[in-house]
Amino acid sequence: MNAVHQTTAGAAVAVALAVALAGCSTGQTTSSSGDGNGGAAPTVAETLGTAQNGVPAAILAAGGTTLLTTAKPEGVEAQYGPMCKGSDLGIGKIDFTKDTIGWAQSEKEANPFRIASTKSQVDTAKAKGWKLLTTNAQSNVQQENTDIKGMIDKGAKAIIFSPINSTGLGDAIAYAKSKKVAMIPVDRNITGVTGCQDVGPQLGSDFVQQGRRAADAMIKATGGQAKLAILLGASGVNVTDDRTAGFLDELKQKNASGIEVVFKQTADFTREKGQSVTETLLRAHPEVNAIYAENDEMGLGALAALQDAGKAGTDKVHIVSIDGTKGAVQAIVDGNFDAVIESNPAFGPAAQAALSAYVNGDGAPAVTITTDNQYDKSNAQQAIDSGTAY
Amino acid sequence: MSTTTTPTTDERTTAAPPPTPWSSRIGVRGGDWGRWVRERGVYLALVVLVLVNVVATPNFLTLGTLQLYAVQTATVIIVSLGMALVIGTGGVDLSVGATMAVAAAVMARLFSPSDGGGSPLALAIVVALVAGTLVGVVNGLVVAVGRVQPIVATLAMLVGGRGLALVFTGGALVEMFHPFFTTVRTAQVLTIPAIFWLAILLAVVLAVVVRRTAFGFRVLAIGGNLPASRLAGVPVRRTLVGVYAVSGFLAAVAGLIVTMRLRAADPSYVGLNIELTAITAVVVGGSLLTGGKVRVLGTVAGAVLIQLLENTLTAQNVTDSIARIIEALIIIAAVFIQRPSRSAR
Repeated sequence: MNAVHQTTAGAAVAVALAVALAGCSTGQTTSSSGDGNGGAAPTVAETLGTAQNGVPAAILAAGGTTLLTTAKPEGVEAQYGPMCKGSDLGIGKIDFTKDTIGWAQSEKEANPFRIASTKSQVDTAKAKGWKLLTTNAQSNVQQENTDIKGMIDKGAKAIIFSPINSTGLGDAIAYAKSKKVAMIPVDRNITGVTGCQDVGPQLGSDFVQQGRRAADAMIKATGGQAKLAILLGASGVNVTDDRTAGFLDELKQKNASGIEVVFKQTADFTREKGQSVTETLLRAHPEVNAIYAENDEMGLGALAALQDAGKAGTDKVHIVSIDGTKGAVQAIVDGNFDAVIESNPAFGPAAQAALSAYVNGDGAPAVTITTDNQYDKSNAQQAIDSGTAY
Repeated sequence: MSTTTTPTTDERTTAAPPPTPWSSRIGVRGGDWGRWVRERGVYLALVVLVLVNVVATPNFLTLGTLQLYAVQTATVIIVSLGMALVIGTGGVDLSVGATMAVAAAVMARLFSPSDGGGSPLALAIVVALVAGTLVGVVNGLVVAVGRVQPIVATLAMLVGGRGLALVFTGGALVEMFHPFFTTVRTAQVLTIPAIFWLAILLAVVLAVVVRRTAFGFRVLAIGGNLPASRLAGVPVRRTLVGVYAVSGFLAAVAGLIVTMRLRAADPSYVGLNIELTAITAVVVGGSLLTGGKVRVLGTVAGAVLIQLLENTLTAQNVTDSIARIIEALIIIAAVFIQRPSRSAR
């Protein structure tokens, strides 16, 4: 809705037309149970794909072809081959005592996830004594291309980067390949690549799985009966699509037909939009008694709206969100959230270990899925005390 | 505009342009009606949109919904008022969103209960408002003294201001709690939210300033004809600095309201893209982008219209992608219908 906000110029006829259109589309979306909502968004089946040899479609898209059954390091959920070696792409060994490497962050370090994600890289490099250049693309994909190429020009021998999206960094990836620079994507995977042929080992969370776990938590919290609203992340981002697809598919698989999706709207991953969208939805759909927020910030914005409406508290409206930030986990302790599925931002140790193995050692798996925690009433306080919630 | 004229015709320089087919249909042959729609169409549009909501949006005509919409609209109105004044001088202020962020960040920086030793809230609010006004003053100086085009000067501030706000808060969102925030959120006078009263009060003040004060006349004079104003001895620099300062102040007010409502200062996202909303509100409200005319009531109506449209699309659960298509249709229709009539210039 942000787009409308920006540029709408109203005129009598136009508005009437627009609202007439809006009216039409609603009739269909609100009455059906949920996923008839999307024109552009991929369907559940498209996003989830069909597993091949036990390898999920998302992993195949990121270049992983076989599930590795060798022992997994701590904090790793699953590893998929083939094994990538830097020498396959002509990348030479790196002397970490002398050479520099680069860290390209995708979005502003304005939310806890991004802060923790960069901190993890910087702290790990510091502990190892590695020289690290850092950039931040401020959510601009062209900027991230430029940032990565810039660090390569400054002599970085390897780039660990958090892609803004699964596609769109082809420019930087091709440049790195031509300069024999190792590329290690973390968090969001680069898709459409053949294992190890374009980028090095990828490390990420499984966003579809996060959506599934959120659905399980929601079923548990509501007893399988709810009028549900979904606060979607930013449009056109695979994280949003995956977290939506996983959630809806899990509801279907668990036969949770008692959970009816009555509202589905983007709130751009921000707290302010989470608040304003929830305010409006609570007026139009007062029957809503459960909210699935695809990140913590939108969930906390929804909580602000619920507080103003006198509906805060899981006895009135259930909330499940994804990320695992301190604020959201505290909201569990306070009795306002039911559960938070973590998206672990601390890729530093695993990514730098993978880089080391990739260029100097025996190689690293094409795709590594890191372990995400999950918080509810039973462990929320503990996660805050121990600092696990970031 | 180019949709109805041949590429070689420059509307502005054609002294007495022959009516194009489209404009003759709605404008010239329609006579007064066409002109009324162009200039006052915002009220008609508002009525239509309200009626649509009455029919289509569940619980629209309830006190709670109307109060909520009033609160949500207030910040858009407040920012748009400042924008109307700036546009009245023939300028534009792209930095209002960044100014909101600066004010929010300054308040968060001073009033930080987390480390125990924060300033009193009243002081934090005053300093934040001063900071926002100062952002406006800088804009005004760059425009008036530096003779930099307003769109360029305030674009620079749009970028720099948000950077400044991020520096103030260390880049992160800052949560804040105070009983006064709750008062601001919930206070009502005659069942109308206090925040909305504030917006109305500011609109009345602006209307009086524009119509009844020397400052207001100077604004319109500068927007109407800058060189002539200079020759006529209008204190152009002082007036322009004042205008941008007012815009900065109003943006700061809006920034603090958003922050108190959210219980958090979010320097990255507070007021993001609101400059475009405000410009649209002003233009839809019947003011000319070229300056020389400030319609305060029209601006308020424009702001209400845009916020209500957004609420309508949200309440109707319109998918983001569909909403964008609707938006495109509206822009095309609005440009078509609201082409400024040549006589109005």
